[in-house]
Amino acid sequence: MRNHGSEVSLSAQATQSSAVISRRDLIRAALLAGTSAALGPAFSLAQTAAFELTPAQRGEDDSKQLADPNWKPAFLSEDQNETLIALSDMIIPATDTPGAKEALVNRYLDLVLTGESAESQQNFLASLNYIDSESQRLFGKEFRSLTAEDQDDLLRPLAYPQRPSFWLNKDLPDPGVEHFGRLKSMIAVAYYTSEIGERELGWDGSFTHGPFQGCEHPTTTHK
Amino acid sequence: MPQDVLQQTYDAIVVGSGATGGWAAKRLAEAGLKVVLLEAGRAVSPKEFTEHMPAYKLKYRDHSPEIERTRPVQKQCYACMEYNYEWFVDDLENPYSTPADRPFSWQRLRIVGGRSLVWGRQSYRLSDTDFKAASRDGYGDDWPFSYADLAPYYDIVERYVGITGAAEKNEMLPDGQFLPPMQMTCGEVRMRGRVKAKFGRTLTIGRAAIVTQPHNGRAPCHYCGPCERGCSTFSYFSSPFTTVKDALKSGNCTLITNAVVRHVDMDSDANKARGVTYVDRLTKETKEVRGKAVVLCAQALESTRILLNSATREYPNGLANSSGVLGHYLMDHVAGGGASGTFDDLNVLPSANPPHRPNGIYLVRFRNTPSSGKHPHFIRGYGFQGGSGPDFNMEAEGLGAEYKKAVKQGIYGASLGAFGESLANFDNYCEIDQNLKDAWGIPALRISMAHGKNEAAMMRDAGVTAAEMLEAAGAKNISVQTSFGIPGMAVHEVGTARMGNDPKKFVLDPFNQAHDVKNLLVTDGSCYVSSACQNPTLTMMAITVRACDHLIDRFRHSDV
Repeated sequence: MRNHGSEVSLSAQATQSSAVISRRDLIRAALLAGTSAALGPAFSLAQTAAFELTPAQRGEDDSKQLADPNWKPAFLSEDQNETLIALSDMIIPATDTPGAKEALVNRYLDLVLTGESAESQQNFLASLNYIDSESQRLFGKEFRSLTAEDQDDLLRPLAYPQRPSFWLNKDLPDPGVEHFGRLKSMIAVAYYTSEIGERELGWDGSFTHGPFQGCEHPTTTHK
Repeated sequence: MPQDVLQQTYDAIVVGSGATGGWAAKRLAEAGLKVVLLEAGRAVSPKEFTEHMPAYKLKYRDHSPEIERTRPVQKQCYACMEYNYEWFVDDLENPYSTPADRPFSWQRLRIVGGRSLVWGRQSYRLSDTDFKAASRDGYGDDWPFSYADLAPYYDIVERYVGITGAAEKNEMLPDGQFLPPMQMTCGEVRMRGRVKAKFGRTLTIGRAAIVTQPHNGRAPCHYCGPCERGCSTFSYFSSPFTTVKDALKSGNCTLITNAVVRHVDMDSDANKARGVTYVDRLTKETKEVRGKAVVLCAQALESTRILLNSATREYPNGLANSSGVLGHYLMDHVAGGGASGTFDDLNVLPSANPPHRPNGIYLVRFRNTPSSGKHPHFIRGYGFQGGSGPDFNMEAEGLGAEYKKAVKQGIYGASLGAFGESLANFDNYCEIDQNLKDAWGIPALRISMAHGKNEAAMMRDAGVTAAEMLEAAGAKNISVQTSFGIPGMAVHEVGTARMGNDPKKFVLDPFNQAHDVKNLLVTDGSCYVSSACQNPTLTMMAITVRACDHLIDRFRHSDV
């Protein structure tokens, strides 16, 4: 839940604009100036080998890595990459805000999948292949070549599954719904952890707005 | 390092610089004793804090394969992330074994500050229902002191550390020296009121080691959220920037980092500890440091490992183990039972912006209390931690613009998760694995523990009671959880060098001195007699201060 610190999953505390970054760094420097000097050598980074720090602790910013103009998929084939772009764009399209394509969801997923176990990789490909095989079955061509209407027709039943019915004995999980669910949740994580995704959720770039105010209703409201 | 650092004889050697070691170093050094503080890991700097870095700046946005490779155990800890995993031990360098059917998750840090850098900060006093539990229900042993004996030390620790919380006058959870409480959400206010009205149970805001007003030179919490990545304002309590800093400032404490303690050295003729031998983590050289007293604060399993590895002719089964219970009675809270649901009628949208309150709620133990009577299926009890508030709904169904909208519409959730007492049981233990050594050649542990029937019954009950309380509060979509994590997952391991009056039954005396070797103390969670159900760090710190004050008194009377 958002307001439990330890469970915040999409950490939204800093900012992109360079003007605000420098303000943040000034605050940070001011926070640390007094204490760091007073702490002395026992609290210095001087003795610590770089490999004993995470990239984040070294201050590395990897937010631009995916935007490399020479980017090529490392795990996905070119076709799979195109399918994933088309799928992610249907699930999280550009509206009045940018969508999954602009957030380079396909590139992030390619990076993560490269480091995943063989089993996770195969699960992902099986789900992606399911979308294409359904596309072939229903429309006679691959998903990425369908019109947006046909893509929507294909995905909608998977995205709004019918409740299982006792009378129809539909208590077995629908493999199509499972495949779609897997892809959608990975696309959602990739999108909402991107900077575009954080902005979509309304993040204003700051890491503090003062104390948590809590419920401000009259005491009788929640009886 | 100058040679004289190792050539002099210190008054006290403190092993470990975490929550308890920091207190031992501070207390002893400020009393004028010459202290050397040994830490197995490296120094820590505020410059490596990452709490304000957004996830999109991480290469893998917290799905780093590097964690998978080097920290397959540590990654089980919620606080081990792509941001900070280097603070956690490398599992390849720090192996331990378990029986195949008794898995144990040993989550630990080797760095100045230890786990106090990433701890959950929840801080609750134990009561006499805990300290005298055996007298009430006949299981196990009482602690060798009562609440009144420890209360002044809780006061000392709380006044220094800074604990935010609200007084409740509840018999099971003594009030302490609180800084102003953090605020509750609408859902939590509703749960608090209805749970009290329908069940007479107390739900309070979490008591946490986070300062909510300026306190001992530390600025109040700025509600950025993820404390486990460090805090630029030192608003949550961690030892490096408080107790350890004070110890060093006294001029009486020398900190040696990268000192991986192998064993305690004994003067066998005098039956006294004369120092410790450690391996330099980086050079792998073996070194010895001498002291008039040795205080182990390395964390329960690690301190026990040092004692087991310190066997001598006189103590063939481990140092100070004439009782034979060293390593036994390992406990770790059973956690996982509970329920979650939604408050669909609370129309509050989630926000991606701070404030993010780094604290939850606490529902005080209500089973087997002096006023509740005995539960038919289990002894002891559990408390709930949890919270309620709006969150983004990534699980929303659908696709396209509708899905984007549904995510932002959010879901108002509520959850209660139990932490239950883990019974002291001789058959839950650790021992030296004769076939396994760490990267410094030090024999490693074999840990054998499983939660029992009492713990399982407690978690079943917790699932039911959590659901009925959420229902009473008006929650919908309630799902019940009665399964629980493997031992170690609560990261509250205690009990392997238990304290008591009888030298035949206990390793430590009531002031944390080994019965067998009086200038050898263990003040971390090892000394626990019963686990209670409250998070243990506050109590460990209070016990450490009490033990150190007793040791200082002995020094004053030239009795060490």
